[in-house]
Amino acid sequence: MRFRHILAATVFGFVLPVAALAKEPIKIGFPIPLSGPTAVYGVPVLKGAELAVADINAAGGVLGRKLVLLSRDSKANPAEAVRLARELIVRNGVEFLAGTLTSAEAPAVSTIAKENHIVFVAPSAKTYELTDPQSIHPYIFRAASNTTIEGQAGAIVMARWKDVKTVATIAPDYAYGHDAIAAFVAKLKQLRPDITIVDQQWPRLGQSNFTPFITAQMSKHPDAVYCDEFAGDFISFVKQAAPLGYFKAIHNRLADGGEVGSVDETIALGSSFPLGIWTDTYDPVVWDGPNQPPAEIAFDKKVEKELHTKYGSSWAIQGYVTIESIADGIRKAGTVNDAAVAKAMLGMTYQTPLGPRTFSATNHDADAGEYWGKMVKVAAYPFAVIKDPTYYNPEPAAH
Amino acid sequence: MSIQLSRPPAARPPASRPPAGPPLARPALPAIRRVPWTLLVFLLLLPLPWIGSRYNTFLGTEIVIDALFAVSLNLLLGTTGLVSFGHVAYFGIGAYVCGILMKTYGVSFAIAFPAAGLGAAAFSVVFGYFCVRLTKIYFAMLTLAFSQIIWAVCFKWNAVTGGDQGIADVPFPNMHWMAAIPGAEQLSENGRFYLLTLTLVALSVAAIGQITRSPFGRMLTAIRDNRERAAFIGLNVRAYELAVFVVAGGFAGLSGALYGIFTRGVFPDYVFWPKSAEVMIMTILGGMSFFWGPPVGALVLVWLNQEITNYTQYWPFVLGTMLLVLLFALPGGVLGGIARLAGALQRRVARRDA
Amino acid sequence: MTVSLIAAQFLSGLTTAMFLFLIASGLSLVFGVMRVLNFAHGSFYMIGAYMTWQVMQWLQPAGASFWLAALAAGATVALLGGVVERLLLRHLYGQEELYQLLFTYALVLILGDAAKYIWGTGQLSVHRPPVLDGGFHLLGTTLPFYNLFIMLVGPAIAIGGGLLLSRSSAGRLLRAAAYDREMLGALGGNVGMLYTGMFVVSSFLAGLAGALITPIVSVVPGMDVQVIVQAFIVVVIGGLGSFWGTFWGAVIYGLTLSFGILAFPEFSLFSVFALMAVVLMVRPWGLFGRPIR
Repeated sequence: MRFRHILAATVFGFVLPVAALAKEPIKIGFPIPLSGPTAVYGVPVLKGAELAVADINAAGGVLGRKLVLLSRDSKANPAEAVRLARELIVRNGVEFLAGTLTSAEAPAVSTIAKENHIVFVAPSAKTYELTDPQSIHPYIFRAASNTTIEGQAGAIVMARWKDVKTVATIAPDYAYGHDAIAAFVAKLKQLRPDITIVDQQWPRLGQSNFTPFITAQMSKHPDAVYCDEFAGDFISFVKQAAPLGYFKAIHNRLADGGEVGSVDETIALGSSFPLGIWTDTYDPVVWDGPNQPPAEIAFDKKVEKELHTKYGSSWAIQGYVTIESIADGIRKAGTVNDAAVAKAMLGMTYQTPLGPRTFSATNHDADAGEYWGKMVKVAAYPFAVIKDPTYYNPEPAAH
Repeated sequence: MSIQLSRPPAARPPASRPPAGPPLARPALPAIRRVPWTLLVFLLLLPLPWIGSRYNTFLGTEIVIDALFAVSLNLLLGTTGLVSFGHVAYFGIGAYVCGILMKTYGVSFAIAFPAAGLGAAAFSVVFGYFCVRLTKIYFAMLTLAFSQIIWAVCFKWNAVTGGDQGIADVPFPNMHWMAAIPGAEQLSENGRFYLLTLTLVALSVAAIGQITRSPFGRMLTAIRDNRERAAFIGLNVRAYELAVFVVAGGFAGLSGALYGIFTRGVFPDYVFWPKSAEVMIMTILGGMSFFWGPPVGALVLVWLNQEITNYTQYWPFVLGTMLLVLLFALPGGVLGGIARLAGALQRRVARRDA
Repeated sequence: MTVSLIAAQFLSGLTTAMFLFLIASGLSLVFGVMRVLNFAHGSFYMIGAYMTWQVMQWLQPAGASFWLAALAAGATVALLGGVVERLLLRHLYGQEELYQLLFTYALVLILGDAAKYIWGTGQLSVHRPPVLDGGFHLLGTTLPFYNLFIMLVGPAIAIGGGLLLSRSSAGRLLRAAAYDREMLGALGGNVGMLYTGMFVVSSFLAGLAGALITPIVSVVPGMDVQVIVQAFIVVVIGGLGSFWGTFWGAVIYGLTLSFGILAFPEFSLFSVFALMAVVLMVRPWGLFGRPIR
C-alpha cells in the first residue's frame, strides 16, 4: 500500500511539474504602432505575427509549448516603445521580443533587449544604426531589409533611366530617411557619376503639411526624385503633390523605397495613386507578371482569410517571418534560454513564403531584399499594382 | 499668472505656535509640520528592491523621478502662483545634457548629473528673465514657446541630439561602489539605480522643502497671494520670480537626467508639450497647495496608468475623466480631499467634546 | 531665386496660412471674449474632419456630398461646443483660469479617445470635391483650385466676421464683453447667452476648418495635438482676441514656414516658435491685440 503511494507521489512529483511546464506558453512581446500615420503598416504586421502564432500552435507549438503574443500600441514613439518593452519583460514575463515598426523605435527597444538579455527580432526597421558595430549585441536580429539594401536597389532602378541628369530626394527626417538616402546617393554616384543631386528635402515623420517642401523641390526642376515617404505620410504627400503638378513635372520618374507598393497603401490611396512610379514591397500580393512563387500565393490566400479582406496585406509577411524565425531559433537551440537561442540564430537560415533568408553571423541582419516594380493600372483591380515584380538584393550575404 | 485660490491655502504657520482658540475649518495641523516627512518617506521606500518585485522597483523608480519633477513644478505653481506650460523644457535639457555627456562623451554620472542640473538652470536663467516680465496667460505662452524651441532644436540637431530617434542606449552610471553597502551586492543594476535615484531625489526634495520653509519661500507665497501687494511692500517681485524659476528649472533638469538614464535613452518626446500637461496634472491631482501633493499625485497617476492600461487602451479617456472629476468635485486634489476629511472629523470630535 | 519659386512658396504659404486662420479664428474669439484658452479647439477641428468623412460615407452616391458634409460637420461640432459650454464649462467661470485650461485639456484627452473609439486608428481619406479638381498656372507655378478656394474663404470669413463684429448689435455686445464683461452684465447684457453663442460659433469655425482640410491631409488620430500649438502660435503673433490679428498672424506664420524651408531648412521648425517667443517678449499682446486687464 505504502509503496504504491510513494510511487504515485514520486511519479506525480516529477510528471506534474514537467506537465505544468509543458503547458506554460512561450510569451512573445510585440510592441508596434497600432495608431497614427504608421498604423497602416503596423496593424498588418501584427496580424501576420498572430497568423504565424496560430499556425505554429496548430502544428503543436515549439518544444511542446504553445506560443502566445502580447501586443501593445507603441504609437511609433520610441519612449513609449521602451516603456512597453520593459513592462512586457518585467511585468508580463515575456521571453522574447519582436515588433516595433520605425527605425526610431527599434534601436531604443534594442537597448532594453540588451539590458534584459531578451532576443529581439525587428520585422521592419531598416536603419543601419540598429545593427552597426557600435550598437550590435548578441540579442538583436533584424528580419527586415535594411537601408543599405534599399538605397542601393533604388539607385539601381534609377540608374536605368538614361535621360535623367538631375535628381532630388525627399525623405523623413530621422535615421531611416537619412541612412537610406545616404546609401542611395552613394550607389547612384557609383553607377551614374553624371547625375547631380539638386535638392534634398527633409520633412518630419508624421508631417501633415508637405506643400512647402513640395513647391521648394519643384522649383529646382529635378528630372527624377527618390522619395522615402511611407505609410500615412506618403498618402498626405500624394494628396498634396499631385494637384501641384509634382508628378507630372517629373513625368512620374519617382522611386520610393518605403514599400508604398504594398496593397495596404495602394488600396488606401485608391485612384489617387500616382501611376508610373517605381516602388517596392516585401510581398506584392497582386502580381502583375510571371513567376509568382506558389508559396507566396498560398500564403497570401491564408492572409486574406485571416484578415477577412479581399486582397490581404503586403505587410503581414514580415510579422509572420519574424515569429517563424524566433520559433526556428528556439527549435535549433533546443531551449528557450535566450542566450542559447541568440547563439543558434547566428547564421541561421529560415524559410519564408518568398524564399530562404539568413541572419548574418556578423551583423545579425537578414539578407532580405524586396520586390521592386512600376506601378500600373490594371483592369481587374480598382487600385494600382506592381508590374513584373522583381526581387532586388544588391547585397546578398555570404553564407 | 497669479492664482487666486478659492479657499485659503493650507497655511504653513510661522514657527510652532498653534492657532489660538477653537480649531478653525482649516485643515492645517501644526504638529504635522514638525515631522521629518522626507526622511520618513525615504526610509519607507528604501527597502523596495529587496522586498518588492522587479516590476515594482521599476515602477518605484519612475514614480520617484516624476515626484521630483512635479515638486519642482509646484515650486512655481503652488508656492509662487506661476503657471508654466513649459517646465518640460528644463526636464528635457537635463535629460539630454546628461544623456549626451554619458553616452557620447563617456563622462561619468558624478559629473554629468550636476551638469544636467546646471545646464537646465542656465537655460532657465535666460528664458526666465524674459518670462517673468510677463504675467498671466502671456507668461504661460512664453514658457510654452521656449519649451517648444528646445523641442525643435532637439528634433533637428541630428548630430548632437540624435534628432527624431533621439539617443538610445544611454548607459547606467557606474554603481560598482554600491557593493560596499551591506545588502546591496546582490541587487541588480535596476535595484541599485533605484537606490541611487531615491537618495538623490530625497536630498533634492529635502532641499526644496527647506527653500519653501525659508524666508525666501515665504516671500514667494506672498507673491502668490497678491502680486501687486507684494510689489507695494517693497519686494522685487521679478527677482524673486526669476530666482524660483531658476531653482525649479535646475531641479527639473536633475529629474530629467535621472529619467533619461532610467529609460536608457533620451528622445525629443521628453520636451513635447503634452508632457508638461502630464506633470501639471500630477501636481494638481495630488493637491498643489500641499508640499507633498505632487509626489502623491505622481504616485497615483503612474500607478493608475499602469493598472488601467492593462484593461483598456483608452487610458487618455480615463485620465480626462479623472481630471474632470478633480476639477469639479475635488479641486484640492487627493491631499486636499484628505485634509477636508480630516478637518471634518476634527470638527465632529470638537463638537462632541463641546 | 526665380519668380516661379517665390510665387510657389508664397502661394503654398498662403494656403497654410488660410487653413490656420480658419482654425485659429475661433480660438482667438473665445479668448478675446471669455478669456479661456481652449486646448480642445484642436479636438473640435479633428471631430469636424472625422464627421466630414463620416457624412460622406453616408451620402456616398450623392453629388454635392462634400459641401453638405462640411456644413454638417461644422454644425455637429457647433452643437458639441454648445453642450460642453452649457453643461460643463460655465461652472468653472468663477474659478481660476488654470482650472479652465485644464478642463479644456481634459476635453482633449476625452475627445481624442472618443474619436479613436468611433472611427478607429486607421488613415481616412476624403476626395476633394470634383468641381474644384485641377488647377491653373500662375507665375510659373501651379495653383490647385482647391487651394485657391481656401485662400478666398479665409479672407471672406475675416471680412465677414470683422463686419459682423463692428456693425451688428451682437458684434457690439461681443466687443463690449471683450472690453469689460462685468460692466456688460451690470448693464443688463445677457453675458451667459453671449458666452454660449460665442463658444458655439467658435466650435463651428473649428469644425468647418477640419472639414475643409480633409481633401488635403489624411484624417488620423493625433491631428488635434498637432494643430493646436500651431493655432496658439498664430493667435499669439496676431494678438489674442483680435480677429484681424489672427488673420495676419496666420499669414506671417504660413509665409515664415514656407520661405523658411527654402532659406534655412534646418531652422524652419524652430523659426515659428522663435517668432512666437519674440512677439511675446517684445509686444506680448500681439500685433493687433490690446493688453488684457
